[in-house]
Amino acid sequence: MNKLIPKLVVEGLSHHYPDEYTGESVHALEDINLELYEGELVSVVGPSGCGKSTLLNILAGLLPYNIGVASVDGEVITGPGPDRGVVFQEHAILPWRTVARNIGHGLEIRKIPEKERNKTVQDFINLVGLTGFEDKYPHELSGGMKQRCQVARTLCADPVVMLMDEPFAAVDAQTRITLQEELNRIAMATKKTILFITHAVDEAAFLGDRCLVFSARPGRLKEIVKIDIPREKRVWADMNTDAVFIAARDKILASVREEVSVAVEE
Amino acid sequence: MGARSKMMVFSRLSVALQRRFGRQRLRKIILGSIPFLFFITIWHANTVFGWLPPVFVPTIGEVWEAIFFLQEDCPGFVPLIKLDNDCMMTTHILSSLGRVILATVIGLPAGIALGVVAGMSRPISKFLEPVGVFANSISGIAWIPLAIVWFGVGWVTTLFIMLNTIFWLMFFNSMLGVRSIAKVYEDSILTMGGSRWDVVTQVYLPGAMPSIITGMRMSMGFGWRALIAAEMIGGDSGLGFMIFTSAAEFKIEEVFLGVIIMAIIFMGTDKFLLAPLEKWTVERWGLVWKPS
Repeated sequence: MNKLIPKLVVEGLSHHYPDEYTGESVHALEDINLELYEGELVSVVGPSGCGKSTLLNILAGLLPYNIGVASVDGEVITGPGPDRGVVFQEHAILPWRTVARNIGHGLEIRKIPEKERNKTVQDFINLVGLTGFEDKYPHELSGGMKQRCQVARTLCADPVVMLMDEPFAAVDAQTRITLQEELNRIAMATKKTILFITHAVDEAAFLGDRCLVFSARPGRLKEIVKIDIPREKRVWADMNTDAVFIAARDKILASVREEVSVAVEE
Repeated sequence: MGARSKMMVFSRLSVALQRRFGRQRLRKIILGSIPFLFFITIWHANTVFGWLPPVFVPTIGEVWEAIFFLQEDCPGFVPLIKLDNDCMMTTHILSSLGRVILATVIGLPAGIALGVVAGMSRPISKFLEPVGVFANSISGIAWIPLAIVWFGVGWVTTLFIMLNTIFWLMFFNSMLGVRSIAKVYEDSILTMGGSRWDVVTQVYLPGAMPSIITGMRMSMGFGWRALIAAEMIGGDSGLGFMIFTSAAEFKIEEVFLGVIIMAIIFMGTDKFLLAPLEKWTVERWGLVWKPS
């Protein structure tokens, strides 16, 4: 693993867009610089409206940008591509495909023959704990299962970087805790490079190797908090007494709260 | 047989029927047939009590016999499917059905294709939508006089009227169907490296299915009605032509027969084509509310 060459690089990225109704120019991001190294999980927190979802959409290639440069494996991002997989906040798996066909969709797009595909698909179904649900349709799954299916679908397409946009925001608190622990286990098993966007400080501290705190609009990179806890030790039952975790969480929380009050005063 | 054993027979029959069809379906069949049985009873009562003269309302027997009267000169199965004009009833049924099938085969894919394109592209929808609104505002049958002038009486006119009705209905329903799909599905295909074509076949078409099926239902309803009207005025065969000419000759039992055949064909297409299609697509995918 080469720690020196980053997988994802963002340099001097700024973004303005016209408001859909008033036409005023909205300043969403200001001079963002960041680097994601192989196998690293970086979480991004910030007050709502700080542009963190805008950043993700730019990296996914779904939103054109013109100030600054963003690249993956040295290739400048100009549009969506299979090197960047996205896990969306909403349930983005297709209702008209079964769990297995949703998970294998990326491979199907790449025209990989069905026989080869099935083995990989089954591995990912097992990895996210959906064994036995292969032939179910999404409406037959719970909210948490749908998000697991989405994570498996994104991983199965084997992207260089996985971008996650508040993926656990819409599930209940119990399920969220389970999903966070599972994502930690999956990150350990697959060694994927992951950018994880969230508004929940606990989640950011629990999952991130580093946590980037964004300022209120226009979003700037305000602070980077390192969380030095080995992945295998990250279980919620231990975190409440883990000094490193508590210190990191409190630091992130204080930093975010400052920004929230700025946002409210404005 | 005593009252008690009669009850026994009845309850055994009821249990057997419930086993055969299932409780829910049996209830549906029974409840659904009640209005028809009521209607048939009133019809027969009319014959018995003579409320309305037979010139207006024929007897059930006369309508049944009309089938054999119309098919009287039919020499057999082969001329029947060759549309030999001596097999009067089947010829009219087949020519109506032929138009329905032809109009569907052309109009359905064309309407869906253009509707999907208009649904995904703003410029194309700006280009096509006003024409669509214009064409849709003129009811299908209003085209009949013009169609007769253009194409004369016969197949082309009747086909044109039905095609015109089906095409615009499918166009609008497919367009609205595509527009109602959540953008995240499209984004998810693109971020997995999918092409525009992948988005069309894997997101737009299945995603617009609820709307497309509604369009098919409306097409069947409005298209069938327009066809019957077109056959009456601008046709030289078909069920609409048959009831129109029979009425002119005061063969009221043939008019009744024609109307009943139309209703049966229409109900048949819904039950054996549209309902199964709905069940295996949008209902299976959880996209529509399913009655319990």
